[in-house]
Amino acid sequence: MTDQAILVLRLAAPLQSWGGPSRYNRRETLPQPTKSGVLGLLAAAEGRPREASIADLVDLDMGVRVDQPGTLLRDYHTVSDHRGLALPSAKVDGKRVQKRTTPAKYTGVTQRYYLQDAVFVVALRGSAPLLAGLERAVRHPAFPLSLGRRSCPPTGRVSLGLHHDADLTAVLGTVPWEAAEHHRRRIRGSEVTLEATVEDPAGEVLAADVPDTYDLKTGTAFGQRAVRHLWVRIPTGHDAANSGDSPASPASDIPAAGADPGHDPFALLGW
Amino acid sequence: MPHQPNLFVEIHILQSLPPSNINRDDSGTPKQALYGGARRARVSSQAWKRATRIEFAKDQPAGDQATRTKRIAALLTERLARPATDGGAGLDTAQSERLATALVGELGIAKSTKKDEQSAYLLFFGKRQLDTLVASLDGRGAQLAALPDADLKNEVKKLPVVEALATGHPAEVALFGRMVADLPKLNVDAAVQVAHALSTHAVRTEFDYYTAVDDENVEDSGAGMIGTVEFNSSTLYRYAVLGVHQLRDNLSSPEATRDAAKRFLDAFTRSMPTGHQNSFAHRTLPHLVLVTLRADQPVNLVSAFEKPVTGTSGLASESAVRLAEELRAVGTSWGTVPLRTLATYALGEKELEAAFGPSRLFPELLDEVDDLLETWLAGKPLLPIAAEDDGR
Repeated sequence: MTDQAILVLRLAAPLQSWGGPSRYNRRETLPQPTKSGVLGLLAAAEGRPREASIADLVDLDMGVRVDQPGTLLRDYHTVSDHRGLALPSAKVDGKRVQKRTTPAKYTGVTQRYYLQDAVFVVALRGSAPLLAGLERAVRHPAFPLSLGRRSCPPTGRVSLGLHHDADLTAVLGTVPWEAAEHHRRRIRGSEVTLEATVEDPAGEVLAADVPDTYDLKTGTAFGQRAVRHLWVRIPTGHDAANSGDSPASPASDIPAAGADPGHDPFALLGW
Repeated sequence: MPHQPNLFVEIHILQSLPPSNINRDDSGTPKQALYGGARRARVSSQAWKRATRIEFAKDQPAGDQATRTKRIAALLTERLARPATDGGAGLDTAQSERLATALVGELGIAKSTKKDEQSAYLLFFGKRQLDTLVASLDGRGAQLAALPDADLKNEVKKLPVVEALATGHPAEVALFGRMVADLPKLNVDAAVQVAHALSTHAVRTEFDYYTAVDDENVEDSGAGMIGTVEFNSSTLYRYAVLGVHQLRDNLSSPEATRDAAKRFLDAFTRSMPTGHQNSFAHRTLPHLVLVTLRADQPVNLVSAFEKPVTGTSGLASESAVRLAEELRAVGTSWGTVPLRTLATYALGEKELEAAFGPSRLFPELLDEVDDLLETWLAGKPLLPIAAEDDGR
């Protein structure tokens, strides 16, 4: 199994949007990066044309860890032609110039959803040479990278490097917590429990976000993959006893060292 | 050098807006987003892109929506001479010149009276259109080039030369992209990426209660109409990145690439969305324009403001110092130092000159970027400044 490796990515930005199979005038986002979105980012990094095969990318197994879940943002978005012309239709005339809509439609309204203030760690497992190439591409991308939608460029480091000979769950349990300072302050204990989703043939949940192609001629059809939800516990980097010294949080608010500071309603269910 | 690395030109702008509402949602509230746990003013990327496109279209050369090169024959010759694996037809120089002349002749464009190798007027075309044209030869390039003149002309007539080239990508399309679901050949992937503008500080929406007086009303003292307009004021961080290599591929000619890049930087900097313009007259210019050239990867510096600026000594100057610190921190911690930083600013902080270099007049900044692009487009690498300095 030495030819397998895991590439770890950090996806952080003020705005991200992971639409999956969302279409038409309501463009939604899922609460976590989709496989389609992440593979699209990698294909863009490599400079693959839209019609190029992505079979090798689809074969990668993906795991996502939610380091900072963020919240949902709805964006009201109108589309019109600044010259006051009717919007173009999908049809073209004899000279292959796009026709205008008939009856004339001047303004299109769409709702676009984003995740704001979120941070994810994504791990991809597959052949080591392929991932080494992708890792380099992410650091020297051909096309500017974006997190699900073109207007969402990433901030900070995107590649957190390659791990050899590991499995997805193990890597997601060892990569340090990537949350921003303001979010870290909200978790006081020495450990934090993070939601994660990993691709697993034995998983009982289906995610319909596997792209077949990014070719605009055919459009993308989404296949399914089996995933498993889990929780990973990782160190927060501050230990519970010392965080009480911070003047911002009075010591009386700090639970006794050793106590579980996080509220985890699912613990009762044995998740 | 076997393969020229990519070149990204990034533009980072700090700009303050007085009370205004330039981009609002369906309930009239200025757009917002949470970042770093704090509520920020937001101007969507599409709103500012639209303002940029309107600004860009203003100084589009008259009658030249489809930009432009006179050197189509030369470019096509060079293309046909390339091996088939590299998108060419694998012809020798004489053959490819002959075929290129025949193909260009099919366009019905007169030759320049002064320079034989140039067509009489500028013709816009892109790499993709040349791909289409070479593909339409269907591997018969050598066979066609070997035909006698008259037969060659007849054969070329049957090829979709005009179709391949007539649909030019205007520079605007090369920059901002175009999607036509029915005809993927018309699609152009944008060379420009624009991020949503966010305020560098926390922002609260304010409500302006207004009354409108009915001038002809003499019966009572009430208002003719009352209402509220929501607004905020903010110092925004605006970011866009231009893939010069992508723009070159969309446009094919180095001159058109430079021209489009320069005009984009100018239009992006000077443009302003017009929402509620007449109520608030929010027409401002930036405090700081920073242009970074990078060969490795674009770096959005909005993370400088993840912790909101508090502005005890002015939002604009504190934001500028934060931006300078972030640029340096990114360079030190990940080793991604821009090849060049060029800036225009009217803020006095010492840190700025150390991080961005001296402030230059904006037109001079554009000229310098233009010179650098000329160097790069001519196939010469842009070396980092540090490598050119002696022992510094």
